[in-house]
Parts: sequence; structure tokens; C-alpha cells
Amino acid sequence: MSDRWTEKLSPYLDGELSAVEREQLESHLAKCEECAAALEQLRRVVGRARALEDRPPATGLWSGIAERIGAAPSDAKVADLEARRRSKVARLRQRRLSFSLPQLAAASIALIVISAGGAWLVSRPAGPAAERGASSVSGQAGLVSAPVAGHSATSYDAAIVELERIIDESRDQLDTTTVRVIEENLMIINQAIVQAQRALAEDPASEYLNEHLAATMRQKLEFLRRAAEMTRAVS
Amino acid sequence: MTNLKQDRDLRPVDADDAVLAAAGDAGAFERLYNRHVPRIHSLVRRMIGADLADEVTQDVFVRAWQKLGSYRGEAAFGTWLHRVAINVILGRRKQLGIRRERFVEGEGVVGRLSSNPKGAETAIDFETAIELLPDGAQQVFVLHDVEGYKHGEIAQMLGISSGTSKSQLHRARMILRDYLDR
Ligand SMILES: [Zn+2]
Repeated sequence: MSDRWTEKLSPYLDGELSAVEREQLESHLAKCEECAAALEQLRRVVGRARALEDRPPATGLWSGIAERIGAAPSDAKVADLEARRRSKVARLRQRRLSFSLPQLAAASIALIVISAGGAWLVSRPAGPAAERGASSVSGQAGLVSAPVAGHSATSYDAAIVELERIIDESRDQLDTTTVRVIEENLMIINQAIVQAQRALAEDPASEYLNEHLAATMRQKLEFLRRAAEMTRAVS
Repeated sequence: MTNLKQDRDLRPVDADDAVLAAAGDAGAFERLYNRHVPRIHSLVRRMIGADLADEVTQDVFVRAWQKLGSYRGEAAFGTWLHRVAINVILGRRKQLGIRRERFVEGEGVVGRLSSNPKGAETAIDFETAIELLPDGAQQVFVLHDVEGYKHGEIAQMLGISSGTSKSQLHRARMILRDYLDR
């Protein structure tokens, strides 16, 4: 066994040698027991590395993290905690909705471009553009914010499942960019629905939140409908 | 491989919690922490050693909380968190560089490990041996053989050449042959 050969053992294992180098090494391995044994051990090292199991830390680390991100319940009085909880809920609700509108705007912009015929290459607006989109969507909110009339929760779910199935089946015929745009937008809409549901859970009576959720769900249905139409046209 | 699969399994649950956490929901972030801490802590432990693993793991999650606003769901949360962790770890290692260098050259455990004679009596298991590898060899080994990054990617992350990455990997594997504990 010499360095000249051992140094090639790892690249050999990783399939990085040229055909010539590989042949030379293999004929050396046939003659040299030491190198052959080393190769076997290296193979086991690689296998062992891949099979390593993740272990949680021995002690809990969350409380330290919670403290640093300002989330730890301190020994403050109960009234204090309740006040803090209420202000946090209010803050959350505000942030959540202001977060979801630009995202929805981005989704609808991408959808419009995608359905404007043949323009598959869409880049989602980011940063300032998305912000501008937000204000225009709040402006348009009236257009879509009617409750989901005539759709029970079950028929809504069934429609979603059916449309997802259609899109799924024609997935192979769509180009990657289109599939990605559809998936990204669905993710954005799903996130918006989750946000709206959570906000609603905290304030079930809010008319605005109810309408916002309904609008978002309608938007998802509409998006899937158009995507399914497109995939039908393609296939 | 298992990591990728794990990401996919957790994806729907993570996506919801990541949105909530980005909006300031610490409860949602705690759920993300609980699901991902074994993987992150193991990564940190292997790359920086058991001594600092708890502290650096906490740094990773604090950084993730601060950066969640920029997470847009374009990758699975686990994948995104993993990148945050790598950045925190590499930053931390740069700070530690000088101190660790001395270990490698000197009489420290690391020095002993790198010249451990074959068949020597040792209680060091494979996991511990990884933690005690010489610096460069350790980073490349964990990133390549454990985490599945390619030499090109590792070279970029560590600011080294692909050739250096390859030779450090070989060095690490050669050392670890003596610590195969099964
Ligand atoms: Zn040989």
C-alpha cells in the first residue's frame, strides 16, 4: 500500500476517477491486499456516515430560545400575562393579514399572466412590486369578498379534490415552469387560508375576517378551476 | 436521503407553522423547534463538537426566528432551516478558528485522534470521533458524507477549492476507519 494508490481510494468510491485511472487502480487492488482492505474500510465509513441517527439534545433548549426571542412566560402576574396575550393577538392579527394580502396579490398577478395565454414564463413580483400589488388588491377586495354562496363546506372540498386530481393527472404534459407556478401559487393561497382560519378562530364574530376567508377560499377554487382548464387545453 | 424524505413528510405541517411563526406566533415556532431540533442538534454536534452544541443550536433557532420573515415557502422548511444552521455554524467556526488550530497542532484530543494507532484500545465511538476530527477534514466529511453536499457546493461554502475538499474528505475517512464501532 502506497500513498499513490490510497489517495485514489476515496475518489474511486465516489466514482470520480477516469476510466483509465479506475482500471489501473482495480488491477492494483487485485494484487494488493492492504489497499483492498483499506477500500473495504472506507466503504464502511461512508455507509456508517449515511446511517447516522439524529439524536435530540440531552437537555431541553427551548426555554433558552424562548427567552431570547421574547416568548418566555416570565413570573409576571396573571393579569399581566392576559394583557400581554390580548395585545399579542391583536398584533398577530394585524401582521397576519398585512402579510397575506401582498401574497394573494402576487398569486393573482401570476394567475392573470399565466391565463393570458401562452405566457408560461412568469416571475413573481417581489419586494416593492408586491407591496404595490397589495394596495390594488385591497381595492379589489370588494369584487371577491362575497361569501361562498351556495357552496357547503363539503361541496367546496369535493370541488377542490376533483380539480387537484385533474391537474395532477396532466402534470406530466405541463412544462416545469408552469407546474412550479401553479404549485407556488397554491402554496401562497393555502397559507393565506390558514392565516385567515387562525385569525378567525381568535375572533369568530369578525365580519371582515369571515369575508376574507370566504374570498380566499373562492380564490383557491377559481385558481384551481383555471389551472385545470389550462391543463385540459394542453393535454 | 432520509433527511429529504423527512422534509417531505413534515412539509404540510411545517408550512402552516412557518407562516404562523413568521407572523410572530411563538407557539408555532416551538412546534417547529420540537420537530427539527434532533436533526439540527446532531448537525451542530458533528460540525462543532458536543461542548458548544447546545449553545450553537440555540443560536440557530434564534437566527431562524429572526429570518422567518424572509422565508417564502420556496423550499421545505427543514431545508431552509438546514441552510440557516450551516451559515450559523460556519460563522461560529470562523470565530473559533484560531483556538481550534492550536488543538490540531498540539497535544489536544484532536491531535491524538488523528494519529490513533490501528487497533488501539479506545472508548471513542464513531459519532465522537467525527466531533474530534481535525477542522477541515471534519467540516468536509460532515457536509459530504453525512449531509450529502457535493464537493463544488462545499468548496463554495468553505471558500476552498474542490481539490482541497476532496483531499480533506479522504483524510477524514482514513482517520475514521479506526473508529468503526460495529
Ligand atoms: Zn496497495
